[in-house]
Amino acid sequence: MQVDPSGEAPVVVCNLTKTFLDQSRGTIRAVDGISFQCRESEIFGLLGANGAGKTTTLRMMSTIITPTSGTAKMLGHDIVKDPSGVRRSMGFYSASTALYPRLTARETIEFFARINQYPEEKVQARVNSLVERFGITEYAGVRVEKLSTGMKQKVSIARTIAHNPRIVVFDEPTIGLDVLNALEVQKAIHDLRSDGRTVIFSTHIMSEAEKLCDRIAIIHRGRILACDTLAGLREATGLHYLEDIFLLYVRGPA
Amino acid sequence: MNWKDIRTLYLRELRSALRERGIVVYSIIIPVVLYPLLIWLVYSALTYASGQAAELKSHIVLRNLPVAHFALRRALQAERTIEIEDSENPDHDIRAGTLDLIVDFVQVQDAPPLAEGNVGVHLTYDASRDESATAKARFKRVLDRYRDRFIEREAAKLGVTRTQLQGFRVEELNVSSNSEMGRFVLGLLLPVMLVIMLAMGAIYPAIDTTAGERENGTWETMMTTATSRENILVAKYLYVSTMSFVAGCLNVMAMMFTMRSNIALLGGPSGLTFQVPLASIPVIVAGAALLALFIAAGMMILASFARTFKEGQSLVSPFMVAFVFPLVFIQSPSQEFTTRVALIPVVNVAMMFRQAIGGYFDWKPMAITIAMEIFFVTAALKIATTLVEREDFMMDTSGGAFRRFLKRWMRRNAEGEGPIAG
Repeated sequence: MQVDPSGEAPVVVCNLTKTFLDQSRGTIRAVDGISFQCRESEIFGLLGANGAGKTTTLRMMSTIITPTSGTAKMLGHDIVKDPSGVRRSMGFYSASTALYPRLTARETIEFFARINQYPEEKVQARVNSLVERFGITEYAGVRVEKLSTGMKQKVSIARTIAHNPRIVVFDEPTIGLDVLNALEVQKAIHDLRSDGRTVIFSTHIMSEAEKLCDRIAIIHRGRILACDTLAGLREATGLHYLEDIFLLYVRGPA
Repeated sequence: MNWKDIRTLYLRELRSALRERGIVVYSIIIPVVLYPLLIWLVYSALTYASGQAAELKSHIVLRNLPVAHFALRRALQAERTIEIEDSENPDHDIRAGTLDLIVDFVQVQDAPPLAEGNVGVHLTYDASRDESATAKARFKRVLDRYRDRFIEREAAKLGVTRTQLQGFRVEELNVSSNSEMGRFVLGLLLPVMLVIMLAMGAIYPAIDTTAGERENGTWETMMTTATSRENILVAKYLYVSTMSFVAGCLNVMAMMFTMRSNIALLGGPSGLTFQVPLASIPVIVAGAALLALFIAAGMMILASFARTFKEGQSLVSPFMVAFVFPLVFIQSPSQEFTTRVALIPVVNVAMMFRQAIGGYFDWKPMAITIAMEIFFVTAALKIATTLVEREDFMMDTSGGAFRRFLKRWMRRNAEGEGPIAG
C-alpha cells in the first residue's frame, strides 16, 4: 500500500509490525508490516476475524504497546518518539476500557478531560456540553456502577472525546451490546465524523462495516489484504456483499 | 514528572477510595474504633467473669487451727463467699475438684517465741482451676487483715512497734512518675500496633489500585490517557502511602485516647498518664511516613502482578505476615536499640518509636534507621519504575504469575520484549 511519507494525513501507519513471544508457540507475528492512512472526516474500518491483529494494531496506534518495528504518526506525533502527544491527539475506546465505578458520570468526563490536558479553564464548559450532547444530564451525578449498560456506553464515549481529540479509535465497540445500544454507539460514531474527526473503527461484523465505514481495510493474520471504499472493493472483486468480498480475500477464490 | 497530572490522578484515587466500603473500613474505621471496641469487649468480659466468680463459693478446709486463732475461723465464716468444709480426705478432694483450698497451720520449728500463737500457714490449691486460685486469693485477703490485727496486738503487748516486731520487713517504692509509667506501657504497645495499622491501612488500597484496576478493566483505560506511566505510578504510590499513613496516625490517636480514659476500667493504675513527649512527635511522624512509603511500595509491586483482587490478596498477604513477624523480637522490654537492630527493616522503625515515646533519642541508630528506610523505599521504587516500563507486565501477558514474569525477564532481549512507550 502506498503511504504519503510527508505524513500530512491525520493518521499515517507505516510498516507496523508486532511480534510476541509465546512459550508454547514461539514467536508470533500478530501484526506483520501493515500500512495505511486515514483522512479527515473519515470513518476508516479495520475488518477482520478474531485474532486477525485489529486490536494489536489499534493498541500500537494508541501507544498502549510499542511496535516491534515500523511506526505510525497521529497528527504528526510519532507513536514511539512522542507517545504523550499521540494520546493527547486521540481518544481510545474499546469494550475492555471500562469506567471507574465509584466516580459519577460527570466526574468521569471531568477527570478524563483534565488528565488528557484539556485547558483547565474550559473543562467545566466542555463537560456541560458533553453531558447535554449525550443526553446524560439526568444521571450525571450518579455513580457509574449504578448505571445501566446503555448509560455507561454514553458516558464511555463522552469520556473518550472529553479532551476534544481529532482522532478517535473504536476497537470493537459494539461487542456484547444489544441492538439498541449498538445502534446508539453507531450513531455516536457517525456524529463524530460529522464533527470533522477521523474515526478508526475495528469490527468483525460485516453489516456494521458496510453501514459505517467510508473505507475498509480487510485484515487477516496481521496483514492488510485489501483497502478501499465499499464500492471500490465491489468493483475489484465483482462481488456485492461485503461478507463474500471478505471471504474471497481471506480464503482465496473458490 | 507532571505534578498537575499527579494531583489529578491522586485526587481521583482518593475520591474513589473514600467511596469504597472496604477501604473506608480497613483504613479509617478499624484504626479508629478498634481500641475502644477491644477495651469495651475486654471490660465486658472481665465484668461478666468477675460477676460469675463473685457468685461462686470457695470451699476451704482448715487443718490444725490453733485455739489462739479461732477468731480467724469466725472471720472466714463471716465471709459470704467462703464455705468452711469438713473433709476426711482433703488431698483427694482437692484433686477431684470438690474442694478448692486446704489451709494447714504448722508450728514454726526452732523459732524463738516472738509472740504467742506464732504459726506458719501452708496453702494447698490447684492452680489449673480458676475456682481454686480464687479461693486462695479470698482466703489470703481475710488472712492478711487478721494477721495485721494480730501483729499489732502482740506488738502492743510486748511494748514494741509493729515494724520492730516484724523485723526483716520489705517495703517497695516506685520512683517512676505516672507519666513515665504511662510512656513505658505505650512504648511496649504503640510501636507494634502502629506498624500493624500502617500495613492494614495500605493493603486494601494497594490491591484495589493495581489488581482491582486490572479486574475492572480500568487499567487499560488509564494507559490511553495523555499522562505518562511515571505520573500514574507516582500518584498511585502517594495515594496508597497516604492511606497507610492516615490509618497509622488515626490508630495512634485512638489508642492514646482509649488508654487514657479506660485503663482504670481494666484494673490498671488509674493515675497513669499516656502522653508522648512533644519532641518525639516529629520522630514518630517521620518514622511512620517512611514506613508507610516502604509498605506501599512493597504491597503495590506484589499486587500489580495479580489479575484479580483475590489474586492480589493471596500475593500481598504473605508480605504482610513477613512484615509484621519481626515485631515479635521487640516484645521484650529489655530489647535495646543498637546499631545492629537499626539495620533490620521494620524492627528498626518500631524500636525508634519505642525510644521516642520513652523520651530517649539515640541519634546514631536513629540515623541508620532513617538511612535504611530511605534505601528500601528507593530500591522498591526503582523496581516499580522498571516494572511499569515493561510491556509484558503492563499488558498482563504473564498471566498474573510472578514466576512466569521472572522467566520472561530472563529472556528480555528476545524479540518483542522491549519496554513500552511512556
